[in-house]
Amino acid sequence: MQCEQFEQTLEQQEFEALPKQALAHLETCPACSALFADFGAIHSMAAELATDSVAPLSDNVWIALRNQLEAEGLIRDPQAPLRSVPQAGPAWWSFFQRPAMAGAFLGLVIAAAGAVSYLSNSQSSTAQSELTPVQETSSVLTANTVFKEEVLNVNDDSILGVQRQDTAVTDSIRRNLQIVDNFIAMCEKDVHEQPDNQIAREYLYGAYQQKAELLATAMNRNMTGGLQ
Amino acid sequence: MNAFGNRNPVRVGAVGAILVGLALAAVPAHADHMEKHFSVQDKPKVTLRNSTGRIQVKSWSKSEVMVAWTNASGKAVVETEQAGNRVEIDTRMAEGGASPDQAKTDFEITVPVESELSVRTDSGNVTVESVHGDMTFDTVGANLQLTDVNGYVVVKTIDGSLVCNRCSGKLEANSISGNVQMVQPSLDSVRVQTSSGNILFDGSFMSRGIYIMKNFSGTIEVHFSANDSFDVNANSLKGAVINQASFKPDTHGAPRPASKWGHSFIGTMNDGHAKVELSSFSGTIKILSRD
Repeated sequence: MQCEQFEQTLEQQEFEALPKQALAHLETCPACSALFADFGAIHSMAAELATDSVAPLSDNVWIALRNQLEAEGLIRDPQAPLRSVPQAGPAWWSFFQRPAMAGAFLGLVIAAAGAVSYLSNSQSSTAQSELTPVQETSSVLTANTVFKEEVLNVNDDSILGVQRQDTAVTDSIRRNLQIVDNFIAMCEKDVHEQPDNQIAREYLYGAYQQKAELLATAMNRNMTGGLQ
Repeated sequence: MNAFGNRNPVRVGAVGAILVGLALAAVPAHADHMEKHFSVQDKPKVTLRNSTGRIQVKSWSKSEVMVAWTNASGKAVVETEQAGNRVEIDTRMAEGGASPDQAKTDFEITVPVESELSVRTDSGNVTVESVHGDMTFDTVGANLQLTDVNGYVVVKTIDGSLVCNRCSGKLEANSISGNVQMVQPSLDSVRVQTSSGNILFDGSFMSRGIYIMKNFSGTIEVHFSANDSFDVNANSLKGAVINQASFKPDTHGAPRPASKWGHSFIGTMNDGHAKVELSSFSGTIKILSRD
């Protein structure tokens, strides 16, 4: 089995038992083995987010996700100096350039948005006096931290693929990412200040969806669209 | 006597060289202008994928799709494919690479009036006139102008604007920072969302129509006729809702209290046949009667 066939099998199986041929390929191919591990990690995180116990686990989920992505070399600590990677973009961009992984991550973004909505609903059903300080336990901020630090820190060297195409396109995507990011921050502020404000939650959910779609567009333009 | 009669061969050659020179001078260096024709039947589906450049689509009465393009640098390659009533046009970069400026390819496409369109481009303006059929547009920064189109129109853009003049049918538009204008529309279904852009609806609400317009900031402005019949529900969480028309209380269904968050307005114009929902996070909503 070749790598492409393995990836197809992996997508089709959706984490069910892999056929023998795929397992055999896994043992001999480090790249596919790493891909399989990535999928497993993300799938586990998404599954945790989807459970009813997401609220108390939320901090752990995001910390674990971050640790996992750092361990895989897919993201970096924003405080750490940039690694020198000749002829390549940051690791997280390589991550997005893998279609299956990018799709999985976007799924995770959507799941996170859903979790935000769920958490907000949970919060609104409790007495306001029971709310804990925002900075300490809010999963909304934790999720946002991940996005802001790892995904939205787009600099001139980051979007190699887009930059190859057209700086106007790159600028547009970067500028609009900032717009959506600002909206998310404003919505989060409202949600925290007014936990039972359903309208603010809906806007927050919508802003997360827009961010996911924008990232999808950025990937799509880079990998398959227009002039390559 | 040869074909030139008794003319001096040297003089004939010189004149020929001058004519050839003039002809070459009239064409920009490397200019690549091409035109192709595709015979179609019934309702063709035309798909265009381009990176940057102006795209003009108009209609004619012929059962034929005409595609003309210009790439000044000659660095872009346009590939076309026809399979029955499906015509696809793709622009790709020639070997050796090209800058965005060199890749710029302008298109003029003429289609039968009844045609489906699918256009994907990053930048450059897109105009479509007098085409009836379903259409999808996917752009990053390209501005889109639709005039006298009819069908189910889906627009997805990041910061391109949409101007829809005399559009009819259904419209779905999603943008982040682009403005959306609907002027004299005959649309019976509108779902428009933009984050920081403005939304303008200047036309009539059709009976049984559903109109949902939403943004985050910016202005949502609705101009309607006093003869229109619709229910309206407007809410701006942080901004103002300005109503300059005379509505009566909404009498349809269960009474709906105005949201306790932000500024809201609920009312009915005439019999409330259409449904209008306007919402903004921090923008201003204006509801104005033209009469």
